[in-house]
Amino acid sequence: MSNDLQIILAGSFVATACGLLGCYLILRKMAMVGDAISHAVLPGIVLAFLFTGSRDSVTMVIGAGIIGVLTTFLIEFFHKKGKLQTDASIGVTFTWLFAIGVILISVFAGKVDLDQDCVLYGEIAYVPIDLWITDAGTVMGPRVLYISGTVLLIILVFIATGYKELFLTTFDPAYATAVGISTVLWHYLLMGAVSITTVASFESVGAILVVALLIAPPATAYLLTEDLFKMMVLTTIIGVLVSVSGYYLAVATDGSIAGAMATMAGLFFGLAFLFSPTEGYLVKKFRKEKAVMH
Amino acid sequence: MDIRIAGLALLISIILSGCNSNSESSDNGRITIVTTTGMIEDAVKNIVGDKADVQALMGPGVDPHLYKATQGDLQKLTGSDIIFYNGLHLEGKMGEVFEKLAFQKPVVAVANSISPARLRKVPEFNNNYDPHIWFDVKLWQEAVKEVNRYMQQYDSANASYYQQNASTYLKILDSLHSFVQKEISTIPETQRVLITAHDAFGYFGEAYDIKVMGLQGISTLSEYGLRDVANLVDYIKTNKIKAVFVETSVSNKAINAVVEGCQQSGYDVFIGGNLYSDAMGAKGSADGTYVGMVRANVKTIVSALK
Repeated sequence: MSNDLQIILAGSFVATACGLLGCYLILRKMAMVGDAISHAVLPGIVLAFLFTGSRDSVTMVIGAGIIGVLTTFLIEFFHKKGKLQTDASIGVTFTWLFAIGVILISVFAGKVDLDQDCVLYGEIAYVPIDLWITDAGTVMGPRVLYISGTVLLIILVFIATGYKELFLTTFDPAYATAVGISTVLWHYLLMGAVSITTVASFESVGAILVVALLIAPPATAYLLTEDLFKMMVLTTIIGVLVSVSGYYLAVATDGSIAGAMATMAGLFFGLAFLFSPTEGYLVKKFRKEKAVMH
Repeated sequence: MDIRIAGLALLISIILSGCNSNSESSDNGRITIVTTTGMIEDAVKNIVGDKADVQALMGPGVDPHLYKATQGDLQKLTGSDIIFYNGLHLEGKMGEVFEKLAFQKPVVAVANSISPARLRKVPEFNNNYDPHIWFDVKLWQEAVKEVNRYMQQYDSANASYYQQNASTYLKILDSLHSFVQKEISTIPETQRVLITAHDAFGYFGEAYDIKVMGLQGISTLSEYGLRDVANLVDYIKTNKIKAVFVETSVSNKAINAVVEGCQQSGYDVFIGGNLYSDAMGAKGSADGTYVGMVRANVKTIVSALK
């Protein structure tokens, strides 16, 4: 497999896994949860280092993953028990956790280079050279492709088996409860899936790309359809398009690949915003003028 | 559903179009070498002379902690014959990638040959060392020797050429080392304090007998506290330190807080100048080489504190 293809595939895997979950996040008004997790994992990293003295990726991902799940738990807890709106609850939770991380570094680990950027966040450009090598010394190929492929598979199985439950708890929680589906359980299952996916993807391709892919493709699809299943299919297609076009934009500009992909995600959203047949700004305006003229 | 078919067709077309693997290697037979920092690039260039093409990923003024790879950087890494990097976690996660890449191609950490006894251990955390080894010229000579050793092994036909270049360069570094020693010792002992924003000059302080104080830790996220500023201001006042320093690749904000703090309590400390810490000066300028960078730093420090 060529380097180009490996990077585009990794980008597409992450875009699909993040995008599919992002559809639910947008419909539940929790889109910023990915950004929140990217900040909130800091104390997890510091604690993992303080306990083990190691800065290797596996340790960091475990620490970050635990705090990632805790973050989503706290967000829901403050929302349910404290009657806070979800956006306020997200804001309180991640700033608080991030601040704890900063203080932990200042107090215990100021002499060690330790932050998400240098020990957790991966770089999609390194996918072809970041190899998985077994203890026996066999080279298995790009590590990130295995990780992002596994995550994608888990998410696909999760959504396929829980499609009805996720659908009902998202659109009509009251009805879901009435027919015996636990909204709380499915909420936590979804949030658990989100934290695992985001943390694993941060480690694979970096934070900005993950936050962008979690929101921009589903938001674009949201402007194009009102059917959840079609929205998820469109999200997948847009995610793959973002990955391909972003990669070649990076080639053309010799720039950051993650930056170029996030730029393309924004561009696709802008196009849908202007030209969507149902929701497009220009299309609506044009229709209004036509209506006035008649 | 036609959308799904379109998506599938798209995926397949991408996979097929990407399958023509483009493996490019060194052209016209010359060895191509990629290094991470400019300091390593300079050391390698001095040893390989005209036998290889050398380029660094991180340019002048780039903080290695904040470096972001571009698509072109990946091409450089995969297209090169040899990669030299610093190691000791200077390159962060990129270092982990290099360790694994070493199974497939020649990848060398120049700091690896230095015995741990000569490295500055981070207190309380075993196996974590200060990576800024280039500030002690004697220590940097070990890195140069590692490059020399590796080049002789890789390209044994030119071994004597590399050995000769290395000997010449090591001699230059010898005289650089004594130059720094001599210059720093001209600063009055009470003034021999180097105050900067972040903790990069530890090796420099140990090697050349100058006390080093920093506001921040090594991590860019370890914020300085108000008490740190106050303590430093007190220290500057009671010891009548003349100057503090800023670094080319780190923000001035922290050190300005100290200068202002001193002024408010009626003591004038001035900013002694810009020190090169994690990156060298512009290419082609006198400060754009390792020797030039060390000399420039020493000159700045001595003229401000003497």
